[in-house]
Amino acid sequence: MKRAEVIYTFVRYEIKRAIARKKVLALVIFTILLGVLPYYALSAAGTTLIPTSFYPYIWVVGIFAVGPLFLNFTAILIAAGAMSEEYEQGTAELLLSKPVRRSDYFTGKFLGGYLLFLLILALTLFLSVASAFTFFGTQSSLYIIPGLFLAQAFSSLVFYSLAFMLGELIRRSSLAYIFSSAAFFSSYIISTFMGLIYTLTGKEIYKTVQIYLPTSPANSLPIQYALPKLPQILSTTLRFINTTTAVPSINLSIEILLAYTITTMAIAAVYFLNADISRKLS
Amino acid sequence: MGFLGPNGSGKTTCIRLILGLIKPTSGLVKVNGFDPIGRHMEALRTVAYSPELPNIQTFLNPSQFLNLISHELNFPDNANRKDEVSRVLELVGLREYSETKIAKLSKGMIQRLSIAQALIGSPETLILDEPMIGLDPAGVAHFREVFKNFSSQGKGTVFMSSHIMSEVESLCTSVAIIHRGKILFKGPEDEVVKKVLGYSIIQLETSPLTPQTIHQIKEIPEVSQINIANNSKNENNNTVEITVSKSDSDIRPQISDLIVKSGAKLYTIKPGENMLEKAYIEALREKNGGKL
Repeated sequence: MKRAEVIYTFVRYEIKRAIARKKVLALVIFTILLGVLPYYALSAAGTTLIPTSFYPYIWVVGIFAVGPLFLNFTAILIAAGAMSEEYEQGTAELLLSKPVRRSDYFTGKFLGGYLLFLLILALTLFLSVASAFTFFGTQSSLYIIPGLFLAQAFSSLVFYSLAFMLGELIRRSSLAYIFSSAAFFSSYIISTFMGLIYTLTGKEIYKTVQIYLPTSPANSLPIQYALPKLPQILSTTLRFINTTTAVPSINLSIEILLAYTITTMAIAAVYFLNADISRKLS
Repeated sequence: MGFLGPNGSGKTTCIRLILGLIKPTSGLVKVNGFDPIGRHMEALRTVAYSPELPNIQTFLNPSQFLNLISHELNFPDNANRKDEVSRVLELVGLREYSETKIAKLSKGMIQRLSIAQALIGSPETLILDEPMIGLDPAGVAHFREVFKNFSSQGKGTVFMSSHIMSEVESLCTSVAIIHRGKILFKGPEDEVVKKVLGYSIIQLETSPLTPQTIHQIKEIPEVSQINIANNSKNENNNTVEITVSKSDSDIRPQISDLIVKSGAKLYTIKPGENMLEKAYIEALREKNGGKL
């Protein structure tokens, strides 16, 4: 019980710390803009462009159009600084000089940042539904929102963990952002190319590489969860907003995401538990 | 205990080893009988630390920061936590700034806050790395009292790393001198001074002494030298500095007897000032082949 309280202390601390940084404010502003502007633009462009049968489901645009890039990038921004900023500012030293387990600190920081990410995800979902309702009327199939929330939350865990690990290993927030973002965009671009080469050549190796790149399951899982629960008519429309699934099954997506997350977290944890606590770095 | 050494001698590294923040490349560190890396909780349960030039979360205010630390220390309930935070804020003189953002506090106030967090929960050992840096003279005097009370009331030990010899001399009963990661001398302050310098000094303020009294003092076997000068504040009085060669016996009663019997007036008799500084410089000079 006492350990849980200490972890909870670090969770709250990490949320406060991250919010105090201006980047979170910027993320919230972006979330609001991305949650409102696409619907406003679609509505202003003339609703005749969109089949009326799509109106009750247009709330999914906010998730599937925004999710793959914005949410994963948000996860990276939050996670890369969680550990590294404490080293840079020299604040980790005092906190860890107290009789607390390093594992509690690590867990609290990880969960605190992740909880903050979940709040931004929840805000994204809420704004998508609210904007869709405002501009296109009553929305349907909203019962899938909790499941979609979980699918997206789980998907983003892979880049959140990667950025968290790099923040701990490099201990420089700017480098951790750059490397994590580079990994994300490289995976995204390579995955697209692999898919294209596979389509042209039919060689399985390209498809396999594409499947196991981290962006593939991260982008596939929410779609794999949601599409079967939405009307068939949406599938064709959704292709316009990047909803192809590179990974063939939902189980494989989960397995690949788990493998990446567990590996990166294990590396981060082992390193943190054994490495020296560096003094102020910059 | 005063922990002395030149810049880069390893004082802070040693403290960080004690706190389990870094691992020793060789050897073993034990705190309260436990390895501070492997058994961090047990080792540091009774130890608190205030770093040199502390880096404290600037987005919090002192009250929130101390609350965070008390949560970390797992204080039993909110009422206790609140009382403890109020107590230490009062003790370090930051009560009126309890709700001010740390980013707006001065260097001295942040130093006070750092000491406050170390005092939370009444630890048994206080590890202070240059605790007086940034403090104004009133602050230095105040914390000198706080630390003296801490150790004199039987609460525990103050382990203080400092470059200010006068502070160490006035606060510490024992010292350790470190140089390039190795302890050169350690023990009670006067013993370290004697060991390093091979002599001690007794300072007196007296009315003018007769040649016969001076001769009698010189005759004491432990006395190797005697210097007499006019007192800078009162020209009628003399300042007498007696150099005592290495000896365990305290000859101050003998000297005071001689002076009083000669009819001269004895105003003060005390150990020589800045002896620790002299010993420290001498120890380093010896180690560096005559250079500092």
